[in-house]
Amino acid sequence: MNSLLLEKTSDTPYVCLDSENEMFKISERSLPENAIDFFKPIINWFAEYSKQPNNQTTINFELEYFNTSSAKQIAKILLIIQEMAKTNEVIIKWHYSKNDLDMKESGIRFSKLINANFEFIETK
Amino acid sequence: MAINNFKNLEFSVSLFYAMQKDNLSYVYRGFFNQQITDSILSLTEVNLKTEEHSSKMKKRVYAIMVEGLQNITRHQNDTAKISNNNTHGLFIIKRNEEKYYITTGNATEKTSIPVITKLIEKINSLNNEELKDYYKQVLSDGELSKKGGAGLGLIDMARKSGNKLSYRFVDLNKDDTYFYLHTIPALEDITISDFNKIAKESLDNIIEIHKTLNNEDIKLIYNGVMNQESLKGLLQTIEGHLTEEPDQKNKMFYIVMEMLQNIVKHASNPNNEEGGNPGIFFISDKDGKHLLTAGNYIKNENANELTNKINNVNKLTEEEIFKFYDESLFNFDIDDTKKAGLGIIDLKIKSKNQIGHFLKKIDDNYSFFSLQVQI
Repeated sequence: MNSLLLEKTSDTPYVCLDSENEMFKISERSLPENAIDFFKPIINWFAEYSKQPNNQTTINFELEYFNTSSAKQIAKILLIIQEMAKTNEVIIKWHYSKNDLDMKESGIRFSKLINANFEFIETK
Repeated sequence: MAINNFKNLEFSVSLFYAMQKDNLSYVYRGFFNQQITDSILSLTEVNLKTEEHSSKMKKRVYAIMVEGLQNITRHQNDTAKISNNNTHGLFIIKRNEEKYYITTGNATEKTSIPVITKLIEKINSLNNEELKDYYKQVLSDGELSKKGGAGLGLIDMARKSGNKLSYRFVDLNKDDTYFYLHTIPALEDITISDFNKIAKESLDNIIEIHKTLNNEDIKLIYNGVMNQESLKGLLQTIEGHLTEEPDQKNKMFYIVMEMLQNIVKHASNPNNEEGGNPGIFFISDKDGKHLLTAGNYIKNENANELTNKINNVNKLTEEEIFKFYDESLFNFDIDDTKKAGLGIIDLKIKSKNQIGHFLKKIDDNYSFFSLQVQI
């Protein structure tokens, strides 16, 4: 399936969703004025991918900041992943800076609400 | 029962009123570095773009700001023998009735008063042509400033402004003084005596404001239209704060982001101002805590609901609020409405404090709403 690649901007994240090369990553900042519009293609991509996922999928969330409207959209993505995790092996790697305990806390909250395999990775 | 201990919220209303006649005001008081300077410039640029239609004036304001900000960055540590709350560097830009007022301030030792005075008086005595020659002369001599270029900066500011430089020294203690440099870029057809009068009055006003800033320990004020670009500019200023602990800085970033995005998305715009919703945002320190305050217009018809929502969030225990957060997070039905309120819940969670709020009715249609978060 087609990959989805979005370069980062000052308020939207870098997105790389590439099933062929097994690269799944959302990083940098997400504080768009309209999170619903921004995330729509990403959510659609995951919905499509979840129909025929790879045997194993590792998704990296390496966000520096995200706003609450992005949090809702991330929740939508995670719900799709949760469905996928019922039949396929999925790992969600949640990266957070050691200086940003709120980001760690956000990830932990998601992991309690979503039935999928979370790994937490502390970075500088 | 939640106890609201945000007694000074009325202050945000009076501050907004005091600044309301200005189309733009931006105040930064504290430590200056490249990132702070860049953020101030980009923030002002956003406003200049939407509000100022003369490209000549845009260039003038921008050039004066660049020089002024460089001056403070260079001289902020110059010198006051005793550093305290009153010796922080200062930058203020105001726009009012088509005029811009740009003020920089820094503490310095009293011994430097004669040198600075002599330099500015010399600059003010020259006309445009003479200034150009003087600039060249200083450039080749390079004798004026040990720090390299301060003299040039002043000459350049005078040239760019097309007006005289106003300045004042206000004593801090027996050794130190506070130096204000006040620039009003070219006004057309105005006599020297009229200009002097305007400059004196506006500088008096700035010095009064500065007293309030020192008393309330205000680090930053932004009053103007809020849009995604000004939001990013203000966030950049937060990032530039080198003095903060990284964890604290991140927290501040999240909270400011939500507070400002609230204004961008939900505030009212009674006078249909161009480019965004009018609002005020400021950061002050009190008893070792940061107070972040945002103010904007809302429609009276929405006031009750908003007030109830915040009161409700304030009442919740830690366990309840996380539960409420999770419910709201996965409630996609209310995605597009203003009811989501996830932002307000998040403010409470991240700040671990009560959210302060204050409502003041303006007229039959609108109220002014202030929100305050403490970290």
